[in-house]
Amino acid sequence: MVRKLSFLLIVVLLMTAVMPSLLSAQTPDDTTLVIAQSVDVAGLEPASVNSRAEANIFFHVFATLFEIADDGSLSPYLATAYSISEDGKEWTFTLNEGLTCHDGEALTAEDVAYSFDRAFDPANAFTGNTAGFVFPSIGFQGTRVEDDLNVTIITDRRQSENNRLALISEVYIHCKDSYAAMTLEEAAQNPIGSGPYRLVEWVPDDYILLEAVEGYTLRETAFKTHYWRVIPEASTRVAELIAGNVDVIANVPPDQQAAIDTSGVATVQAVAGTRRIYVGFQFGENFADAPGYEALQKTEVRVALQYAVDVPTICATLLGTQCERASSMVNPPNNNPDLAPYPYDPAKAEELLDAAGYPRNADGVRFETVLMGPRGRYLNDANVVQAIGQYLSDVGVKTTVDIREWADYRQLVGPKEVGPMFFLGTGGGTWSALYDMTDLSSPTAGTNYTNWQNEDWFALWNTLGDVTSPEEEREKINALLDIFYNDPPWLLLYFQPDFYGVSNRLDWTARRDEWIVIYNAKLK
Amino acid sequence: MMPSIGQIETIHMGKYILRRVLQSFIVILGVTLLSFLTIHLSGDPTYLFVSERASEQEIIETRAKLGFDRPLPEQYLTFLGKLVQGDFGNSLRSRKPAIELVLERLPATLELTFCAMIFSITLALPIGIISAIRRGTPVDGGVMLLAMFGQSMPSFWLGIMLLLFVGLQLRWLPISGHEPILSVMLEGNVGGAITALPEAIRYLILPSITIGVFSLSRNARLIRSSMLEVLNQDYIVTARSKGLNQRGVIFKHALKNAMLPVVTLLGLEFGFLLSGVVVTETVFSWPGVGRLVFNAITQRDIPVVQAAVVTFSFMFVLLNLLVDILYVQLDPRIRLS
Repeated sequence: MVRKLSFLLIVVLLMTAVMPSLLSAQTPDDTTLVIAQSVDVAGLEPASVNSRAEANIFFHVFATLFEIADDGSLSPYLATAYSISEDGKEWTFTLNEGLTCHDGEALTAEDVAYSFDRAFDPANAFTGNTAGFVFPSIGFQGTRVEDDLNVTIITDRRQSENNRLALISEVYIHCKDSYAAMTLEEAAQNPIGSGPYRLVEWVPDDYILLEAVEGYTLRETAFKTHYWRVIPEASTRVAELIAGNVDVIANVPPDQQAAIDTSGVATVQAVAGTRRIYVGFQFGENFADAPGYEALQKTEVRVALQYAVDVPTICATLLGTQCERASSMVNPPNNNPDLAPYPYDPAKAEELLDAAGYPRNADGVRFETVLMGPRGRYLNDANVVQAIGQYLSDVGVKTTVDIREWADYRQLVGPKEVGPMFFLGTGGGTWSALYDMTDLSSPTAGTNYTNWQNEDWFALWNTLGDVTSPEEEREKINALLDIFYNDPPWLLLYFQPDFYGVSNRLDWTARRDEWIVIYNAKLK
Repeated sequence: MMPSIGQIETIHMGKYILRRVLQSFIVILGVTLLSFLTIHLSGDPTYLFVSERASEQEIIETRAKLGFDRPLPEQYLTFLGKLVQGDFGNSLRSRKPAIELVLERLPATLELTFCAMIFSITLALPIGIISAIRRGTPVDGGVMLLAMFGQSMPSFWLGIMLLLFVGLQLRWLPISGHEPILSVMLEGNVGGAITALPEAIRYLILPSITIGVFSLSRNARLIRSSMLEVLNQDYIVTARSKGLNQRGVIFKHALKNAMLPVVTLLGLEFGFLLSGVVVTETVFSWPGVGRLVFNAITQRDIPVVQAAVVTFSFMFVLLNLLVDILYVQLDPRIRLS
């Protein structure tokens, strides 16, 4: 017995002696900033941005012509100024003098033109934001180099100034010689940027290490190095934040916010995001036989259902924050100020449904329908969908909820095979109402997921290219949003709140638009 | 001249191995077909590779470019033809060769799997033996209760509990992350790998325990029941009656025979542990194949999924083949039959 106890004692002593030496020493020093995202980049090709996580990295490695601020304003970056041709189709940008890329190559107008042309070149087959969204949205046709400092972006249409400038500011600029010398595969692994940080190391699914570029004058940087860690599990991200090993984490689950706020090490920053969360009513004829399809084609029914869902309560109980209900598809402050959010008024919903010709049957059901929704894409999405289904059932619209994993759901959203009602969230911006409204740019637009065919909307939309003043544009935008409000293709819900965990040592404010722009972060 | 018993055994062994190799080949072929079909059953993957605002024309062009417009059999045959050349195609998202993505993450997963196996086997052996020897005692009851508990705990829950308690509260070990050793060694930097070893072990402990607890519990129960069966055999009684001490009975006679079913299980164990790494790698931010496959599945990165599935199944089948051969060597009864 004595021998056994002695052995146990030795083990305990050894453990006590060894464990302190094993103590984790991961806390970053004052020159290092650690940010944790849930997903890694697929590659480091600046012309192929497929996720916000990628854009966050690229934004620090590559500069853009202008920079979009959190409030939607645009400030000069690589460019100092721009001018617009009389027909509004050609935009000429003037660059700063003495710009260089990270390899020392001079960055001139030719490089800017190359960055656009390379991303546009069908032979390169780029997908993602630049080729798939920015270029079609501005009607990109090509570029023209005027001289070393002036480059013209040629488009096929006149466009709202702020909207176009913001879109162009999503194109990452790089130098021609270095990229022309690399294959696409090499370029995707070896970014040579023009921004405030350069790539030091990328360990896939582990971290990306960036280092501040010495002598970079366009933006000030407080931290010498950035570690962008990949931590997919939310609980692990929170634990690393509370342990002081990470400075900023995104996507904090509502149920773990209290743990952060009471840790004394970090706090949660809640921001009203720009992502529009809504329930779409499907108008596509492929759903003609689906339950509830016929009823949902009636404007009166769709308006009635706006009163049936208690959005503020959903936000408070399921998203862990207060939120204002959306009154349009456009983010504040660019929305129509005359439109008030539909209030939660189930009695009125029932009244309107009665008037629309759908009274309750003997079993209390007016009609049956299906609400499809994803799991694992938006904040607490599956639970929100369940709640909406219950609210609709409460006013007599017996709703069966059909929840799919996001990977499967997304497969159905693209080809518009979701319905007769479906839950979705689409990204929005702070700089232009038209950016948010582009979802419904035509009856066949890829983002017109509901197949909405309102003739008044599309007729008015097509006149936007003829506007000659911001006031006229605003008038048309408001008229469009009126149409949307009164013949709603969406059951308007909320702008998704975003939660960031931020170390108390850091002076940094999270943005509304899901971008983690952190070159300007400082120690308190 | 009649062949000797040794020659007959050699011929039988050769036939046996040949048959097992053929069976393994069929299994791998089946796996490639199933993985190929399963991925295509859930819809058109084109939409994952275009912007959410892409036009119909862009979608059609992308579909053609990625080859998703071709008939499935044609896509499968193309895949098989390239597979025999070791070409799984490029990742649809990162543009890198899919097999390269798998192989560059494989060392991290093998480190984890190997450590989990060591954890599981080295602890299961004494626990199972002690439990069998002390059958019916509180020690046996307690150990079996713990084993049942170990088998009941979901690995993601155990992982989070470990990182919260050991990592966050006690600060004894890192919460997440990875320090490579195997990949460093494979690059020829043995000195670097040895230097990194202590740090690497710190990162390995929690995820290894998370993966290994279930198999530790199962192996401990298996060894216990196997030992109990052997301990009741006549030759053990004979050994005892000859005055052999307990240690001699256990280690010289009982354990050797009790280990036969355990050896069989080792091959399966590897596959089981590999399947467990997906969750554990996610919880501990371990940059291994499990997370790669999980992400590839959710993003419908078909070449990566196929490369990983075929690589895993190849390793699994090969290991089981080796175990089967080893088993024949260990157990003369099978060799003779």
